[in-house]
Parts: sequence; C-alpha cells; structure tokens
Amino acid sequence: MTDSKEMILEVRDLCKEYPSFRLENVTFSVPKGSITGFIGRNGAGKTTTIKSVLNLVHKKSGEIRFFGLDLDSHEKEIKERIGYAGGAIDYYKKKRIRDLIAVTKRFYEHWDDEACRKFMNAFELSEEKMPSELSEGMKVKLNLVLALSHGAEFLILDEPTSGLDPISREELLDVFEALRKTGVSILFSTHITSDLDKCADRIVYIKEGRILASDAMDRYLSDCKAAGYGETLEEVMLHFEKKEFSFGAPESTEQPL
Amino acid sequence: MSNLLHKELKLAVSPLSWFFLAAAVMTLIPGYPILLGSFFVCLGLFQTFQTFREANDILYTTLLPIRKRDAVRAKFLTVLFFEGLSFLFMSVFTVLRMTVLSSASPYVTNFLMNPNPVYLAFVLLVFLSFNVVFVGGFFKTAYKIGKPFILFIIIAMLLVAVSESLHHIPGLEFLHTPSGEKLGLQFAVLGAAAVLFIGGTFLSEKASEKRFESIDL
Repeated sequence: MTDSKEMILEVRDLCKEYPSFRLENVTFSVPKGSITGFIGRNGAGKTTTIKSVLNLVHKKSGEIRFFGLDLDSHEKEIKERIGYAGGAIDYYKKKRIRDLIAVTKRFYEHWDDEACRKFMNAFELSEEKMPSELSEGMKVKLNLVLALSHGAEFLILDEPTSGLDPISREELLDVFEALRKTGVSILFSTHITSDLDKCADRIVYIKEGRILASDAMDRYLSDCKAAGYGETLEEVMLHFEKKEFSFGAPESTEQPL
Repeated sequence: MSNLLHKELKLAVSPLSWFFLAAAVMTLIPGYPILLGSFFVCLGLFQTFQTFREANDILYTTLLPIRKRDAVRAKFLTVLFFEGLSFLFMSVFTVLRMTVLSSASPYVTNFLMNPNPVYLAFVLLVFLSFNVVFVGGFFKTAYKIGKPFILFIIIAMLLVAVSESLHHIPGLEFLHTPSGEKLGLQFAVLGAAAVLFIGGTFLSEKASEKRFESIDL
C-alpha cells in the first residue's frame, strides 16, 4: 500500500444525490506520478465525481484531499497546484487567447510566461486566435497550456479525448506520457478503453455511481483474466456492462404451412 | 479581489454597461422622471449578467484559484463599481442643478421630482433593489436571469412612482425642494437610504454566497 503522503488525490466515501442518479461512497486515490484512467460507460458518474472533486457541485458527504490537504479548507491553495480541462475549452470562446492568458495569469503565483510560450509553440497555438476558431483537439491543448503554465502538478481531465479524431487522440496521449515524465500526475476520464491501454498505469472503474475497482492497471487486468472476465479492458467492460436487449417483438402469428 | 475586478472588466463586462452609465445625465433632463436614469444603469448591468451566462463565466471563475464564494463577491464588486460610478455622476449633476443651474429657465417650474439628496436616496433604493432582487435572485441558479429581472423592473417602477408621488402629500413637500432650504432633512433621508443600501447589499451578498455554495455547476 502506498503511503498517504505520496497521494495526490484521495477521495473517501463521496456521496452525491440527484433525483435520478447518485454517487455512493465513491472511494479512490491517485498516487503521485501516475496516469490514472477514470473509466465507465456514459452516465456512470465520471463527470459528477470530477465536478465534486473540484467543488463545482455540492457533495452530500465525503472527504476529498489533494496533496494531503482537505479541499473544503484549502480550496484556493489546492487550485493553485492543479489544472482542470473539461474536454474542449468552453468559456469565453469569443475572446482572444492573448486576453484569456493575460487575465488568467494574474491569479497564479507561479505562472511561468516562458513555459506558456513554450507550450503554445509546441501545440502550434496562436495567441491572436479565439477559442471558437480552434478545432476540438486544439481547444483541449489550449486548456492544457493554461493548466501547465501555472505549474500544475496534477491535471484532472474530463473526457479530453472525446470527439477527437484518431490522430489527435494519439497525439494527446503522447502529450500525457511526456507530461508524466516531467513529474505531472494525471487523472483523466474516458469511456474509450484504448486510451487507457496506451498510457494509463492505474485504473479507477465506476459503474452506476459506485467504484468497481481502483487499482494498478496490470494487476487489475491479471486479476480479471484469472477470474475469467476477459483479457483486455474492453472485454472486461463488456463483461460487466453489456446488457441483453429485448424489445418484446410480437410472436409470429403465421400458421405453418 | 482586485484581480477578480480586473477579470470582470477585461473579459465579462458588456460594453452596454459602460454605455448605460451615460443614463446618469438624465438627472439634467427638465420635466422628466429622472429616477429612471438609475433604472437604465441597472439595465446596462443586466447585459453583463447575460455575458456571464453566455460566456460560461461562472465556470471559468470558479475554476480559478479562489474560494468558490469569491466568485459571488466578484459579481457584487462589479455591480457596486458601476453603481458607485453612476451615483458619483448623478451626485455631480444634482449639485449642478441645485446650485449654478437652479435658476435656469427649464428648471424653474418642475412638477416632477427635483434632483436633491432625496433623489439620490431613491437612486440608492433602486440600486438596492437590483442588488437584492436581481443579483441575489441570479445566484439561486447562477443562470436564470429573466424572472429576477422582471421582479426588479416591477420594484424599480414602483419606486419611481413612489418618488414622484410622495412630495405631493401635504407635509412631505420638503422631499421635492430643489434649493438648500430643507437640506438637513433631505440629507437625513439620504443617510437612512445609504444605511439601507449598505446593509441590504451586504445581506444579499452573504445570502448569495450561501446559495452559490449549494448550487451544482
């Protein structure tokens, strides 16, 4: 078991209730230096969990700690050290990127202009453009630039690869891998199992608002294989999630000849 | 907090909010229900709240390294900034009409409210109703602006009607006096309105913080 001091994120018994959906005692952790894939089918509770973790939705109960600090009492300090991207950038789409950066940087004590320029160049982004002029993949990269320029140690990404073409997805996963090598930890949600095959070393699997697994990827897959659930993540997911559909087709009224 | 105000002015504030500051000049219009100027200032601020919603500003602001409740304070700060500026302009125009322009022919006969400290007191009450009914109402959902604005319009129009009616009641003529005769009483009314404005806005801000904490974005 990893010591709690090495945990970037610890979520314990997180509960959140909506009229038709609820998170039940969601518990998982993200170790430092890992790329953790947060997987589950659409509507399983990935976004609700991430929004709860970021204090964007009001949790019913539970404990959330970043870097060993409680979110409720250290919100400002924690936000200085993390970055969030909900897929493509979806705010101030009609403002120039230059203005967005100029405003955003004032809030971060450790904003690094040099790093910002470096990432803008690496991602081939122009400050003169507006987010509305960017492709979906470029919007995700802009979000990453904003997060990385303030030296975020931990990135939380909600379905960053959804809607991207295969090349952009591949590029983005390469970026994750490169970031891990610089010491950045990543939690990213997805319903695309091949994203995790490519770069994740840990998995948190959520189904219908409950955590099914929170483990090292290799160990989880070998356990599933031994239990006969499947050999790949896709097979495991199909084992747990696949439903048989019956639409009540009327019985044939034809009489045999 | 200065970073948040800078953010609001640079990204969020609608140009119409600046434009409607010009409504303060309505204080100088002769024979006109001049309190409507304060309503138009609020109409300009309403446009900024539309920008907040359309640009997904609340999400952007909440993700910045601030406490969630600071997002509420930023909005109140923006509103107070514009209300303060327009109040300053209206005060200057009021002083002009009470002094150098007091005997100017268009202003000599005026059956409607004259600009004086009581007028400024009513301006504060219109702004207070905006801060409580509209801004406070907005933070019940952080996206619905129609219903709270309609409620504000009703209250603001009632205030205009009251401001134009009270001084016709015997004994309350001093509310209308344009020169310095009843200045002491008029400043007492302004002082009471200022206390109400500060207290009411403070309570609305605290209530909005509480509502916003429980909202799911």
